Amino acid sequence: MQEKDTLTKNYSEQEELVKSIQNNDELLLKKLYQENYYKTEKYILKNSGTVAQAKDTYQEAFIAVWENVQNNKFNPKNSTALNGYIYTIAKNKWLDQLKSSYFKKTHKLDKYDHKLKNEPDTGFEENELEQDSKINKVVVQFKAIGKECQQLLTVFYYDNVPLKEIAAKLKLTEASTRNKKYRCLEKLRALVLTSN
Amino acid sequence: MFRKASCFGTHIKLNPELEEKNNISQDILEAIERYLKNTMDANELASFMKEMEQNPVLHQQVEETKILISGVKKAAKKNKLDEFHKDLTKHNMFNEQDESIFKLNFRTLSIAASILILVGGFWFFNRTPQNEKLFNQYFEPDRGLATTMSTTDNYNFEDAMLDYKNSKYDLAIKKWEVLLKNKQENDTLNYFLGSAQLANKNEIKAILYYTKVIENRESIFLNEAYYYLGLANLKANNINEAILNFKQNNSPKSEKIISELRN
Repeated sequence: MQEKDTLTKNYSEQEELVKSIQNNDELLLKKLYQENYYKTEKYILKNSGTVAQAKDTYQEAFIAVWENVQNNKFNPKNSTALNGYIYTIAKNKWLDQLKSSYFKKTHKLDKYDHKLKNEPDTGFEENELEQDSKINKVVVQFKAIGKECQQLLTVFYYDNVPLKEIAAKLKLTEASTRNKKYRCLEKLRALVLTSN
Repeated sequence: MFRKASCFGTHIKLNPELEEKNNISQDILEAIERYLKNTMDANELASFMKEMEQNPVLHQQVEETKILISGVKKAAKKNKLDEFHKDLTKHNMFNEQDESIFKLNFRTLSIAASILILVGGFWFFNRTPQNEKLFNQYFEPDRGLATTMSTTDNYNFEDAMLDYKNSKYDLAIKKWEVLLKNKQENDTLNYFLGSAQLANKNEIKAILYYTKVIENRESIFLNEAYYYLGLANLKANNINEAILNFKQNNSPKSEKIISELRN
């Protein structure tokens, strides 16, 4: 067997981990998800959360980590670093939520005031939050577009299966698959548009 | 960047015209997708950028399509996580049931072990060299499949098999992983990827692949996969899991390992 120095070995481990996550490697993601869940649940239950809230918060955090690795915003050295990162983000998200529900209860008027007085939101963070809430609207409406559309959009945008292959599986021509995909996306767009 | 009158906001009710404006044709949508995916050639990109500069509606449509696609991806991810989550509870229930099948002395041992893990991993810390020793004593890489290099279909698979047999595990893994992309469920690929990873001293990855094999109850590799999964778990110090795997494998070798683990 080829001998490797530690540096190369560590580098290739890191590279492989990142690549696997970028390719939505299901086995690895499942393992990561399951390994880290209970630690987060325990933390949230201890800090006045419910099991359902623990699951939601954990999933939000997990997706954030997943996306950050995919967008090269976070480059974990190894799986230990990744585990730590998931837990930290989940914790922060939960603390944010606790803070914001406290905030809503006690400072509702102040906040409104502040918004009115201040100049239109130009801050980067504000934009990011706005974008997040728009994306979440899409996520909610995704449930309403029907199984067939859900599956089609998922294999195309998430699994990155080429249209040609999808067409073959659906026993359709490439052109009509393309059109079907278009109509599904427009259906989703219309639903998001009319929802509030 | 973001226009206040975005169609995703609450402003839409006040501005019904917007709805029509945002009715994108298939051609435009596909152009936007090419733009977002970076697959436009230089000419198309140049004219698209120019158009976007002059046409605020197109600019807005690009931003919205970006959000739509991000939303689809996120929804798909959420669905995946819900699947993982379901398995999480099932997996735990499964473990609990299994435990009750064990004989009393093993039960006591496993409970004692769990307590010790909780106390601070002292037991495992002490045990690690022993587990490693046991692993080395029993581990022998799977000998692999005979290669004929005849049919073109299997050429890539067998090419990697030769690397595997020559202990070039890194290379074999790389080649098989490419094949696995299109055949995620293939038990042969998963089994040999597991074997290559384990031989390459990467037991954690081996566990992932072998686990995939045993999900297929019909696999001809089922029995062997349990044995190697047991060894991989042993190496990774997951003793309880390892014992479960060896029980499933149910061979004289496995029984021997279990009895050594109990001592």
